[in-house]
Amino acid sequence: MDEQGSVAGMVLSMTDVGFAYPGEGEVLHGVDLELGAGECVAIVGESGSGKSTLLHLAAGLEPADAGTVRLAGQALAGLDEAARTRLRRAQVGIVFQSFHLIPTLTALENVMLPLELATDLDAALRRERAAAQLAAVGLGDKAGREPEQLSGGEQQRVAIARALVHRPTLILADEPTGNLDSRTGEEVFALLLEQVRATGCALLLVTHSDDLAGRLDRVLRMQDGHLQDRAAETPAT
Amino acid sequence: MSLLLVKAWLRDWRRRPLQRLLTLVGVVIAVAVVLAVDLANQSAQRAFDRSMDEVAGTATHQVLGPARGFDEVHYRDLRLAGWRDSAPIVEGPARLPDGRTIYVLGVDPLAEGPFRGAASDIGDAPVQRLVTEPGTILPPSGWWAGSGMAHEDRLALETAAGRFEVTLLDRAAERDEPAAESDDEGGSLWVTDIATAQTLLGRPGRLDRIDVRLDEADIDAFAERLPDGLELVPVAARDQASRELAQAFRINLTAMSLLALLIAAFLIYNTQTFAVLRRREVLASLRLVGAGRRALFGVVMLEALLVGVIGTLLGVLVGMGLAQVLVGQVAQTVTDHFFVVAVTEVTPRPLALLAVIALGVGLSLLAALAPAWEAARAASPGSLGRGRLERRARRGLRGLAVAAVVLLAAGGVILLLGIGGLVGSFVALFLLITGFVLLIPLVLAGVLSGLARLGRGQTLPRIGVRSLERSLSRSAPATSALTLALAAAISVSVMVGSFRDSVEQWLGQALTSDVYVVPVAPAAARNGARLPADWGEPLARIAEAESVSTGSSQDTPSDAGMIDLFVVEPHPVWLDYLPLLRAETTGAALDQRLRERDAVLVTEPFAAHHDVGVGDRLEIRVDDGRRMFEVAGVYRDYGSPQGTVLMLGERFYAGTAGAEEVGSFGLRLPDGADAAVVIERLEAWLAERETAAMVTRPGDIEQESMAIFDRTFAITHLLRVITLLVAFIAILGALMALQMERAREFATLRSLGLLPGGVRGLVVFQGAVLGGFAALAAIPLGLGMGWLLIEVINREAFGWGMDLRWPVREIGETVALGMGAALLAALIPAWRMARMRLVPALREVP
Repeated sequence: MDEQGSVAGMVLSMTDVGFAYPGEGEVLHGVDLELGAGECVAIVGESGSGKSTLLHLAAGLEPADAGTVRLAGQALAGLDEAARTRLRRAQVGIVFQSFHLIPTLTALENVMLPLELATDLDAALRRERAAAQLAAVGLGDKAGREPEQLSGGEQQRVAIARALVHRPTLILADEPTGNLDSRTGEEVFALLLEQVRATGCALLLVTHSDDLAGRLDRVLRMQDGHLQDRAAETPAT
Repeated sequence: MSLLLVKAWLRDWRRRPLQRLLTLVGVVIAVAVVLAVDLANQSAQRAFDRSMDEVAGTATHQVLGPARGFDEVHYRDLRLAGWRDSAPIVEGPARLPDGRTIYVLGVDPLAEGPFRGAASDIGDAPVQRLVTEPGTILPPSGWWAGSGMAHEDRLALETAAGRFEVTLLDRAAERDEPAAESDDEGGSLWVTDIATAQTLLGRPGRLDRIDVRLDEADIDAFAERLPDGLELVPVAARDQASRELAQAFRINLTAMSLLALLIAAFLIYNTQTFAVLRRREVLASLRLVGAGRRALFGVVMLEALLVGVIGTLLGVLVGMGLAQVLVGQVAQTVTDHFFVVAVTEVTPRPLALLAVIALGVGLSLLAALAPAWEAARAASPGSLGRGRLERRARRGLRGLAVAAVVLLAAGGVILLLGIGGLVGSFVALFLLITGFVLLIPLVLAGVLSGLARLGRGQTLPRIGVRSLERSLSRSAPATSALTLALAAAISVSVMVGSFRDSVEQWLGQALTSDVYVVPVAPAAARNGARLPADWGEPLARIAEAESVSTGSSQDTPSDAGMIDLFVVEPHPVWLDYLPLLRAETTGAALDQRLRERDAVLVTEPFAAHHDVGVGDRLEIRVDDGRRMFEVAGVYRDYGSPQGTVLMLGERFYAGTAGAEEVGSFGLRLPDGADAAVVIERLEAWLAERETAAMVTRPGDIEQESMAIFDRTFAITHLLRVITLLVAFIAILGALMALQMERAREFATLRSLGLLPGGVRGLVVFQGAVLGGFAALAAIPLGLGMGWLLIEVINREAFGWGMDLRWPVREIGETVALGMGAALLAALIPAWRMARMRLVPALREVP
């Protein structure tokens, strides 16, 4: 199968990707990754190993210095900033560790935002769909609250709803439970997984927790900028 | 204080140079404007005082006679009678080949010593040559540099008596000294021997005045010795009005500079607060490693001190440069309206410099006080969070509103009760302005909240508006600064526009002749050029005029001091055209009163300055001595800020042979007459006369008058531009601060799919909201300020009343300017935000 053929049907494909922050050493090198539709993959690794950077490159938030990143079959390197943004808003939903809700919008408005940016739906339909998504994460009764009126767990639920509302093909989650206590973290993780499975999109999750990672389809380890399949490194029992 | 602590704090300058630059710019502009206006004022003041002192010298009194002067034999008689402390003077204006007007002072150098020796060049002058060589003259030493002339060059002077060649003497060259540095800022008097002055000014054998120094005890005895027709006038009375008016003009300018300072203070406060809060992480970390509150307070204040010192030093340099531009304009205004002054350079006084340095550094420290206090009080990183600070700012809105109401009430009371004269009016104006400005945050919060409600469903505009609302501590001061600057621009437009319209209208009314014949040489109340009175009949015949009027201005003593008396022989029904404000009677009855009884009309400024009204009486010196005149009416006039008394010629010359000379003739032509043909005939006739005269039309005079008017207000416009510049920087700084604080939010939006163009649009939208609010808020404030300037401050300062004009076009322009400034200011942060790297911004601590 040729290279084009190998990425066909992949939501995300990274081939021999390298990246360095200005003035710093190389963070990623020779990273290969393929993520199929509906596949849920975890990336684990030490702090500073390059996990989050890989996620940023996958979202097109930073351009890779070397190699190829393809999102929904489209190579990011050939796209300008605006085209990358259009692709991202259509195909990707992001859940951040520190929620990143817009503080000046209510929970419902936060969830409506991707619909406003990425779709042509009319306002009533946007509101209806956002309300449904918010209800799906258990916050239907808190739609009018602003982020600072919500607990950390509730804020992350809003963020999950926002990431899913426009039906992306890929959810990128960067330590989504990192700012939550263990019980809330567990709840939020379960919700995320449930919603991802329900919508059928792929999930690339960065986490420190081996426990959480183990509940996904595949676990990859990031070490010193290299990505290794953990199944390959652990002998079968 | 730990050196590491200082380093930790100040190294941020390298990371955010633009922010520090903006803070510095605020201090620089504040210091520069205040210093420049002060320097220009002081330099022009010194020039003015010096010119006045050179004219009056150390004389305590002056002996004055009729406007055409008096026989010099009276001086000789006084000397012979033992009054040795006396010096004769012949003075008047002359014109240089380049068109500039100078003032010729003819003195008797041998008698001058006690009078002007110390105050002018006369004491060092090559006395011998002035006395022994007729036609020699001593220009002020500061004049030489830009003149292209040298010692003993010949120069043509045009005066009331004609055109004369004079020989220029340079004191330095004459005494074989190096060329003098231009130390005589005020030197505008061209000193010559009295005999030369008599020739130049067409006053053979006559004097304009005798300066005398008298002890209190000798005054009565001296006055008694004076022959009929001469009188003794104290020097103070002579110049007081001019000095007071020039001072009023300077107070106006100072007020403008203080307004610029107020706006700059907003800018400095904004940037200082931002500079501290943006480093809250550093502050928190320093607290965590054990830095004490006092140390943190100290380090923030140390930074403010550095900013203050650097900004002030730069501001002093800029201010000196700006002063060079301003001083010429101030001097020109003083020359146009009060007295000929020439200023060639500005010299900062050490005290003024110290005051300005204290102001710049003090302002910087004051602006940093609140953020430094916040920094020191912070117990944890969270306590310096924006949300918390904004909540506190919000709680403070009510307090501000209460303070605003108190200030507005205080300003209103001062105005209503008329406390403190001109300065009191300015204080009231500033209280009202500050009160209004303190209300702005509350109103802005309300408006933004309303807009956010209106924008439900429009997510992005709502984000923009809510973000402004949540950053009120940032957006309100910047909006206040812009509002204030735009309001100042509107108020100046209202005042200058109303003034200009009134002057134009007045000129249209005052210039009732179709053609004027005036001297070529410069006209002035003191020995200006005159024309023979007997020209009236031939001029009327040649022009086939319906009627001829004459007018002559002269300085004359009165019980109200020296006054500007305008003696006229008017056209018939002249009172129909005179804009009378108050009068005993009108039309033919008033004309009859003015002709048959000793009555005068006074201008509005005269009535205001001398506190006289209809029915009051003035003792005025006329051709045959002093008589009492009743004030029969007050009329609107913008000809002289000192004010004028108008008297009919038949009252002035009652009992005498009548006028020998007049200042100008006005000819009223029959309907359908071709003015161009008449002017041609008149010019042909005038060409054969000995006295140089020319024909002008009302349009020419209007044009020249309006040119003087526009020169007067040029400095106001310049200050307006500077004020707007400060406001522009304030709004730029605020928007940049706002966007930098919201960088994480913008990065989130970008990660959710907002295009770079969308970010740009959002930032520009925020600029437009602030600019639009400032422009709309500036309209009521500006109109109110304009009204106060016209109805209170101008009346108080100059006594001028004017019809209020609402400058719709200028208001529209100012609103557009405000919006434009805000949008322009938004472009830089918009560009930066659209280009920012997303990942670092996403990582910022909320």
